Amino acid sequence: MLIPRRVKHRKQHHPKRRGAAKGGTSLAFGDFGIQAVEGHYVTNRQIESARIAMTRHIKRGGKVWINIYPDRPLTKKPAETRMGSGKGSPEWWIANVKAGRVMFELSGVPEPVAREALRRAIHKLPMKCKIVTREAGEL
Amino acid sequence: MSEIKIKAETRTEFGKGAARRIRRDSKVPAVLYGHGIDPIHVVLPGHELMLALKQPNALLSVDIEGDAQLALPKQVQRDPIKGFIEHADLLVVRRGEKVTVDVPIVVTGEVISGAMVVTEHASVPIEAEATHLPETIEVDVEGLDAGAQIHASDLKLAKGSSLAVDPEQLIVNVVPAPTAEQVEAELETAEAEAGVERDEPQVVSEAAEDDATEAAPSE
Repeated sequence: MLIPRRVKHRKQHHPKRRGAAKGGTSLAFGDFGIQAVEGHYVTNRQIESARIAMTRHIKRGGKVWINIYPDRPLTKKPAETRMGSGKGSPEWWIANVKAGRVMFELSGVPEPVAREALRRAIHKLPMKCKIVTREAGEL
Repeated sequence: MSEIKIKAETRTEFGKGAARRIRRDSKVPAVLYGHGIDPIHVVLPGHELMLALKQPNALLSVDIEGDAQLALPKQVQRDPIKGFIEHADLLVVRRGEKVTVDVPIVVTGEVISGAMVVTEHASVPIEAEATHLPETIEVDVEGLDAGAQIHASDLKLAKGSSLAVDPEQLIVNVVPAPTAEQVEAELETAEAEAGVERDEPQVVSEAAEDDATEAAPSE
């Protein structure tokens, strides 16, 4: 699973989820991809789960790219704990994905196989997504 | 490539308010520049521009109130989610002038079983006459084996066009595809690490089925 090797601070503030992505909104490597339609936090488990679902469907012959990285820790206070006594302990690693961001890319497989693989991967993600394809030469 | 005629109106008001009013009328604010002329701010019809830009390196003949200018799209700004065109930068070109544009690579054919095609560069910069720009460059990978590489110098270019990139640049790489066992082993390790449990269907043997039928209460 994706996890940072070293971090400067153990705990961080919650990142903002509103707004659209400033970059990474088009396909950079593959021929097909998954684009987020709304902003959401995506955990490293969800990223890994989506990758496994995709790879399981395409079996062999395709190449998968992951364009997001879960570099932010999110904390949680234990259950049945009174408020106060400081911030909770790190629980998840998340990527703060904004609307429009292309999260996964895929190439090397026929279109019907790619679409089904991406559809299965979308089910593992927490936000509304759509499948995008590369149009040769379109600006 | 034939020219695509498109009618334009000059733009007199600027800023986000004016730009949004233009977009609400299904039009696109654009700018024309190049060859030392002062930038010309224009309004283009949205649908026609969208259809024109579907062609790679479309050569546009922009008719600005009777004065036609040849132009190539230089940059197009799109909405990140909906994909509609927000603004276009058009570069003025002259007939016979040589320009450098990115031409998309189209891979055709099938490699042999057990190999996989990886396109390292989806487009390649080509220098050609503005009125004779190639739409795409085809790369045939039919029957290639793992280890085969296609460099920029191996590309078949149209007459009058030349490469504007290092000829040794790798364009298409044929690599060995992982075997089914390798993929399965990698996925199982990943699933174990992620704590994913796979639901396997329970196999009901014929004998067990018979027992179940006998055990069922009969009337």
